[in-house]
Amino acid sequence: MRTKLAAIFGLALAVAGCHSPSVNTVQNAQPTGQRSMISDSRVVSDTTLDRRVGVVGLNTAMTAGGFLKVQVELLNRTRSPQNFNYQFQWFDVNGMQIGVSQTAMVGDEIDGAESKFISAIAPTEAAKDFRLKLLLGQ
Amino acid sequence: MKNKILIPIIAAGTALLTGCGTNAHYIQSGGSQSVVSIGQINIQDYMQAADAMTGDLIASGVLSRVPNPPAVLAISRIVNNTGQQIDMDLLTKKIRIGLLQSGKAVTTTTFGLGGTAEDPMAKGIQQENQFKSDQNTTRLPDFTLSGSIIQLAVKAGDTSQSTYSFQLSLTDPKSGLAVWEGEKDITKQGTRSSVGF
Repeated sequence: MRTKLAAIFGLALAVAGCHSPSVNTVQNAQPTGQRSMISDSRVVSDTTLDRRVGVVGLNTAMTAGGFLKVQVELLNRTRSPQNFNYQFQWFDVNGMQIGVSQTAMVGDEIDGAESKFISAIAPTEAAKDFRLKLLLGQ
Repeated sequence: MKNKILIPIIAAGTALLTGCGTNAHYIQSGGSQSVVSIGQINIQDYMQAADAMTGDLIASGVLSRVPNPPAVLAISRIVNNTGQQIDMDLLTKKIRIGLLQSGKAVTTTTFGLGGTAEDPMAKGIQQENQFKSDQNTTRLPDFTLSGSIIQLAVKAGDTSQSTYSFQLSLTDPKSGLAVWEGEKDITKQGTRSSVGF
């Protein structure tokens, strides 16, 4: 009996030690900043990634210098931290890709149940459109 | 008889092993398949840092505040405070290309640190033209870019972590004031088995 209780107690401690913290958030119920959300088209080939780190929405703005800025809200739908990679691709008014060699693949991490924003600024004023690539991290 | 069977089998096996033995292949520079090493700055780190800081610099609008756009930029000292040898061009060239493509800034190659021009031939031709025209047509830089790369390495048990802090300042040489400051931290972590040379 004592052995069983000790084993259960030890297991409970182990589980508690392995607990991955997830994120609680609090914010203004009526936020001042209003995001200009845009409708998006999604192609999901990695359902595992989509189940873990999902795109909530996209919004855009123009910088003072006339460059397109994109912000994407991601949500970690699990309770444990997830690693992911992302890359923005930019296109001009004719749909031609801009700055192919310059755009970096960025590695990042999102905590459990966290809503996170990633953003990027277009490399030139000629960039009028964009695409975001998301990959599950190692 | 045995040799007639064995030799072709051995030859085929050798060819198979040789053909399957090489796994060298091309990958996207800085892509998701790139090797991540904790003790070194990798190409994807340079790309990420340059991308982030170029975007930040463009968004700040400071490059537009010049009398004759685009702004002229000169590269000043960028200090290496890491434990490895670094060619700063891996960072600065990406920033220069990004700024040039943005149309907001151009970089002078005839003004260099300590008077050393990046392109001595261009400098020589420039001086020749000035001598012949008897006019000083050199456009002095509107801004200088300086900074440092710092490494912070820590270890906890089997886990190693390195943070590379890319820090840049844009200075107006007329006033001597930094008109833009940017910083990008890239942190990498791994266990003992993933740490290697």
